[in-house]
Amino acid sequence: MYHFRTGSVLKTYSGQIQKHHIILLINYIQNGMHFSGKLNYRSFYQIKNLSTMIKITDLEKYYRTEEVETVALNKLSIEVKKGEFVAIMGPSGCGKSTLLNILGMLDDPDEGSYMFNGIEVAHFSERKRADLRKHNIGFVFQSFNLIDELTVFENVELPLIYTGVPSAERLKRVEEVLTKMQIIHRRNHYPQQLSGGQQQRVAIARAVVNKPKLILADEPTGNLDSGNGNEVMDLLTELNAQGTTIVMVTHSEHDARYSDRIIRLLDGQTVIENMMNL
Amino acid sequence: MIKNYLKIAWRNLLRNKSYAAINIAGLAIGIAACLLIFLIVHFETSFDDFHLKKDQIYRVITVNSGPDGITKESGTPIPLAEGLRADFPELKEVAEIFRNGGSHYSVQNANGSKKKFKEDDAYYAEPQFYSIFSFDWLAGDKETALAEPNTIVLSRDEANKFFGDWHNAMGKIVRYENKTDLKVTGILQNSPANTDFPIKLVVSCATMREKSSDFFRNLKDWVSTFSANQCYIVLPENVSVNQFNGDLKAMAQRRKPAPYNTTSVFGLQPLADMHYNTAIDIFTGHTFSKQLLDVVSLIGLFLLVIACVNFINLATAQAVNRSKEVGIRKVLGSNRKQLALQFIAETFIIALFAAVLAVVIAQVTLPFLNQLLNIRLSNAFLSDPLVWLFLTATVVLVTLLSGLYPATVLSGFNPITALKNKITAGRTRGISLRQALVVFQFFIAQALVIGTLVVVYQMQYFHNKSLGFNKDAIINVPFPGDSISRLKLNTLRDELIRQPGVREVSYSSASPSDISNWDSDFKYDNAPQQTKFNAYLKWADTGYFKLYGLKFIAGGPYKSNDSFTGWVVNQTLLARLGVTDPEKAIGKYIKLWDDPHKNQQILGVVKDFNVRSLKNAIPPVLMGSWKDVYQKINIKIAPQNIHQTLAGIQKTWNNTFPDGIYEFQFLDKKIADFYKSEDQLSQLYEIFAGIAIFISCLGLYGLISFMVVQRIKEVGIRKTLGASVGNIVYLFSKEFTLLIIIAFAVSAPIAWFSMNKWFLQNYTYRITIGPDIFLLAIFASVCIAWLTVGYKAIRAALANPVISLRSE
Repeated sequence: MYHFRTGSVLKTYSGQIQKHHIILLINYIQNGMHFSGKLNYRSFYQIKNLSTMIKITDLEKYYRTEEVETVALNKLSIEVKKGEFVAIMGPSGCGKSTLLNILGMLDDPDEGSYMFNGIEVAHFSERKRADLRKHNIGFVFQSFNLIDELTVFENVELPLIYTGVPSAERLKRVEEVLTKMQIIHRRNHYPQQLSGGQQQRVAIARAVVNKPKLILADEPTGNLDSGNGNEVMDLLTELNAQGTTIVMVTHSEHDARYSDRIIRLLDGQTVIENMMNL
Repeated sequence: MIKNYLKIAWRNLLRNKSYAAINIAGLAIGIAACLLIFLIVHFETSFDDFHLKKDQIYRVITVNSGPDGITKESGTPIPLAEGLRADFPELKEVAEIFRNGGSHYSVQNANGSKKKFKEDDAYYAEPQFYSIFSFDWLAGDKETALAEPNTIVLSRDEANKFFGDWHNAMGKIVRYENKTDLKVTGILQNSPANTDFPIKLVVSCATMREKSSDFFRNLKDWVSTFSANQCYIVLPENVSVNQFNGDLKAMAQRRKPAPYNTTSVFGLQPLADMHYNTAIDIFTGHTFSKQLLDVVSLIGLFLLVIACVNFINLATAQAVNRSKEVGIRKVLGSNRKQLALQFIAETFIIALFAAVLAVVIAQVTLPFLNQLLNIRLSNAFLSDPLVWLFLTATVVLVTLLSGLYPATVLSGFNPITALKNKITAGRTRGISLRQALVVFQFFIAQALVIGTLVVVYQMQYFHNKSLGFNKDAIINVPFPGDSISRLKLNTLRDELIRQPGVREVSYSSASPSDISNWDSDFKYDNAPQQTKFNAYLKWADTGYFKLYGLKFIAGGPYKSNDSFTGWVVNQTLLARLGVTDPEKAIGKYIKLWDDPHKNQQILGVVKDFNVRSLKNAIPPVLMGSWKDVYQKINIKIAPQNIHQTLAGIQKTWNNTFPDGIYEFQFLDKKIADFYKSEDQLSQLYEIFAGIAIFISCLGLYGLISFMVVQRIKEVGIRKTLGASVGNIVYLFSKEFTLLIIIAFAVSAPIAWFSMNKWFLQNYTYRITIGPDIFLLAIFASVCIAWLTVGYKAIRAALANPVISLRSE
């Protein structure tokens, strides 16, 4: 079963997905309709004819102290398609955050391969990774990680500065995304003056302002109450519907349900991959 | 309670070792510099303050009024002391003292061998000198020791040098200038470091009068003054200075012939003024103006303040880390006053440490300072209670200056926010106190740097400016002045010129630029009156012009070496006479001292050359040949094999004057020595400016270290968002760069104004302060700041953002 919504109208279909449904769906998506869906993974794959965005193979990461070597990731192999919404779950210390950091090119793996959009980035230099990152990846953190000394506007503007967008264009795009996140009226406030939900909206605005192909979210609702949390998840879902790939680390089964697929990690290895079935 | 404060303070220091180190190091250097400056100031203000009659001692000086305004000189006519005694019986104590620098002495050893000495700190003095001034005597009677002719008194060191042990020196014979035997009648304690009368050897004035040597043949001459001849009196308590100045003026009018009785009179200078008055010579040449004292003291204060600013900056920055402690203490019942006291106690401990370290630094650096400034500060300064007072005051001042503000801030934290750890470093928007303090620090540091650069450039200018004559590869060799030695001069010239490596030889009274000068008025073109101005007299043979490359703009040199055939004058002399065309001056007569033998035509006019140091303008110059007054041999040598050439010259000289002491000086070195005291100060300023920059950078380093810790998360976020290493380094550097530029904008005009007004105005030949000095100053400041900030900033930028963001 899958459903999609146009305004307040909820349409539900059951049974094997039909081609005309798919066309309808794509039309809705392209027209910017609200869509919250739980869709058969394979069908979705077929619908969008998705190509691979992330492909990691036999990835290994160790943390060494003087005596102990801790394995954070143990020959992990995962693939994420373009346009997918993947949730990564698992107990504390299973390597979720390490994986997310490597996917975000904030950290490099010790062994194995990481293909991003068909390019091997596992052993890219710091500069190249930074370059690839700022053009392709947006981050959303549990603790928002806004810079206290900068206003809402300045926080969101930051990624554009680092990618060298001219200031007139920056103004336009920041206003656009703040409007979309319904936080434009707070543009001149400082982060401490906002509620948690508002701060996370700013953080998401900052993550998407550069129109990244991939959003990495690390427990985005962890510091929020359920109302604000759902709002954030709706935002992410909408972004995904518009074509942004999302990889989200979460402890919340509730949040995980927004995704297309859940990858469960234990001790740095994939335990199980759930398709979000109809 | 106090014990608890000190204990906590001590533990805090241990816990934050690097901050403590930066704090203590910065303060210690500041206090050390301040302490050394205090020692210098203390030393320079203590000159001759040990004489019992110091408040009543005055020097009688000559006050000249002429077209150039009023000038005062230390030199007086020879008969002044006698005249004062005759005219003012109420003066109980009058003493003449005459410096006889460079005179020669020899002693005969028991085994018949002879020891020869040349002494610069040698004087003639009347016995009254030692009743006026309170110098200690080790042997002999100070009332009578110098009363008789042919007596000599030696300092302890000098007696040891002459006779092995001063105890054996009394009654022994010292031979003066190889002809007069003097009996040792007294031994003086070595003069203290803080006197302007560093007398090593003194011969009775009676000896000078009896021998009536060349210089003193005219004991009735009230017109000529000799800079070496000074006169001191003790002014009776019932006589006022003003009144006596009037009396002295009247005396000059009575005693001197017209027109000198109105243009050159006498006046009083208090002993207490002598060391500070740069306009009137003293025997040592080492005056230290009150203005310089102020400048140096101000620099000392500045350095201390810069160090305190460091402290305030670091303490307030670090305050965030201690907000939790403050919160807990407040919750547990501590009040604001107690907390403030605790922080003050910590500051006090740091200041105390710094002061101890400062004393060690001062001890270690004192010998270098002594060498640099050519002064004698004692290493035992801690035995002086005044130094203890100074140190105590400094520690208290530093504690209050640096401790009060951080204590107020820290103790003022709201316990609730403090406990919630909500207090951040507060890179507050707008201008924070810390930014203002950094600006202040660099304002002072850069003002010092600009000032120092101006001084250094001016010194370079002094050393490099063309003087209008050739000074390279020329040596000056003095020779004995007696008439028998003079007979050998022509032979000596022939022998010297034959030597390989010797290019030219000339005799003269002085080199073109010289410290000792001789000047006089004269009559031009058969005028009935003397000129209103004096010309410098340079006596030289005809080879002098070629040797020094002096350029003629009209006429040429006089021809003969032996007889006086005519004058050569300089452009300035003609300008002062109002003669515009030098050709028209040729053939005009100049008569000197109304002496028919010194009445000759002008034969040549030379282009102006610098006669004195570049601190002074070029005076009128009158040149002629006069064998009897030549004092030195000028020798131009080939630049190759200098060593050999010098050895050859020495050998020839020694063969010619077997009883003399050979000495030589390179002219360029001698000219460089004109600026010795300025060079010394310049180096001192360089050190001060360096210290100021260093302390400021130390503070900057502490601040950046702290900021990096505070902003580590921000750096992580920014890197995640795509900031490059360069972006991050820029983030940290830009604020400091901006602050430094603001500081520069304030300091540059102030430094420019001050240096023009108070420094460069002292010199006739001076640089104009160009943009290069300012560019260099700002460029250097920014570079040094970048280097300071750069290391920490790059480390921060290279750190893995994963680690900084992990701490949730």
